[in-house]
Amino acid sequence: MTTARALAPPPPLAGRLLDAQLHLLDRQVMDNDGVPVTTVDDLELSGPALDVELAPGTPAPVLTALLTGPVLGTRIFGGRPPSSRLVRIPWEDVAEVGVVLKLGVGGGNLDATWVERWIRDKIIARIPGGRHDPR
Amino acid sequence: MKRLLGVALGILTAIGGFVDIGDLVTNAVVGSRFGMSLVWVVVVGVVGICLFANMSGRVAAASGRATFEVIRERLGARAGLANLSASFLINLMTVTAEIGGVALALQLASSVHYLLWIPVAALAVWLVVWRIKFSIMENVTGLLGLTLIVFAVALFLLKPDWGNLAGQALAPAVPAEETATTYWYYAIALFGAAMTPYEVFFFSSGAVEEGWSIKDLVQSRINVLVGFPLGGLLSVAIAGCAAVVLLPAGIAVTSLSQVILPVAEGAGKVGLAFVLVGLVAATFGAALETTLSSGYTLAQFFGWSWGKFRRPAQAARFHLAMIICLFVGLAVLATGVDPVLVTEYSVVFSAIALPLTYLPILIVANDPQYMGGHVNGRPVNVLAMAYLVVILVASLAAIPLMIVTGAGS
Repeated sequence: MTTARALAPPPPLAGRLLDAQLHLLDRQVMDNDGVPVTTVDDLELSGPALDVELAPGTPAPVLTALLTGPVLGTRIFGGRPPSSRLVRIPWEDVAEVGVVLKLGVGGGNLDATWVERWIRDKIIARIPGGRHDPR
Repeated sequence: MKRLLGVALGILTAIGGFVDIGDLVTNAVVGSRFGMSLVWVVVVGVVGICLFANMSGRVAAASGRATFEVIRERLGARAGLANLSASFLINLMTVTAEIGGVALALQLASSVHYLLWIPVAALAVWLVVWRIKFSIMENVTGLLGLTLIVFAVALFLLKPDWGNLAGQALAPAVPAEETATTYWYYAIALFGAAMTPYEVFFFSSGAVEEGWSIKDLVQSRINVLVGFPLGGLLSVAIAGCAAVVLLPAGIAVTSLSQVILPVAEGAGKVGLAFVLVGLVAATFGAALETTLSSGYTLAQFFGWSWGKFRRPAQAARFHLAMIICLFVGLAVLATGVDPVLVTEYSVVFSAIALPLTYLPILIVANDPQYMGGHVNGRPVNVLAMAYLVVILVASLAAIPLMIVTGAGS
């Protein structure tokens, strides 16, 4: 594994060390109002494609986005959807990583919640009482 | 004073909410065929459900995470999805059984055929899920379900030979006309009925719905530790009634009317009125809980917005999922399949699925990242590990026993 040694060192660690499997994958994502958005179905990393030979000095990959949507199916059954089909939540929007991932933005306009919005607007809100506050 | 009332209300609803169609049918079947010789299983099951319901409530209060979020997070996507499929299908089967139970109970009360009651029951379940506040829903069905205490009253009025009943319960033996395999098959069914996984999904999600914090844990612990055992006592009374009236007459329970026959004999028309109210309330309450549980499990696995504390429009997929589940239940019942039979299968399948629910809860209840200082103590862990062994054995033995005994026939 000589190529591995020739790679550029990872960026300096600032703060906590997160294990993708342990602390990110399959965790609940909440928006800035505490409304559930989705679960982290997969992660997107920057960097070279899987089977490309790494040139010496290649920078270490960086986490760019949380993925959701159909990617869950491919994570379980294998394969990879084309990049245009991935539903992304940019990593910049993540405000806090704990038992849940909190976003710094509202969930209402994210791509990740369009199914929820569609079902709300086309079905649930049209049933009488759909906007009734139970409390 | 208000706090005391809260505790009393919690205990009463826990008692009334403990019994569902699975407990009713299985206990009556077991009582009518095996007398009191399987009472020990109810005791084992009640201790187990207390242990794990308590644990899932603590996880929910300490971390704000309900059971299926935890299952997905711990097992990962693949094993989590397998778990979801099994748990969800069994829960759907239970939804079907409960709605059928409501319809059968209404048939007993009205003499109108149960198939006509099924759409009414499903619509009523949906309306409550759609509209009614969580705490009101819980308290009303729980309190009305308390009328099932009439089983215990009827048992006293039947003036049984207590020594004989106690003897059967304390020195369990397989009755001469039954085989050992059917005995163990029904032991597993009874265990599954007492420990049904949906109770844990519902309990932990309910803790989130009602916004429990660590402060409320004492009250929830009292509710569980007092309410569930008393609910278990109710189960034993159902079995006892069947053992006193039906066993000597050679009637093996196959319908809901046979379940309440001993009450009519022991407590007369008044008793019958009470037991009918109790049947409707208990099955209706459980139908609500299982319907909500189907929504909870799906929403928590996929990370959707969920909860009755939100407007339906703010938990759209959650509500749509429950509507679809109710339609599926309706469709299954519309085929004319016997709800009592669905119930008998659902409790056994529940027993098979038990480890899927209980193992992840036990793991997370020991995780300081979730629990902070409220991780399990050593005695709880020892007991929980012992239960895990029991649960695993029951789960593995269920299908072979089902095949060997022809599902208990």
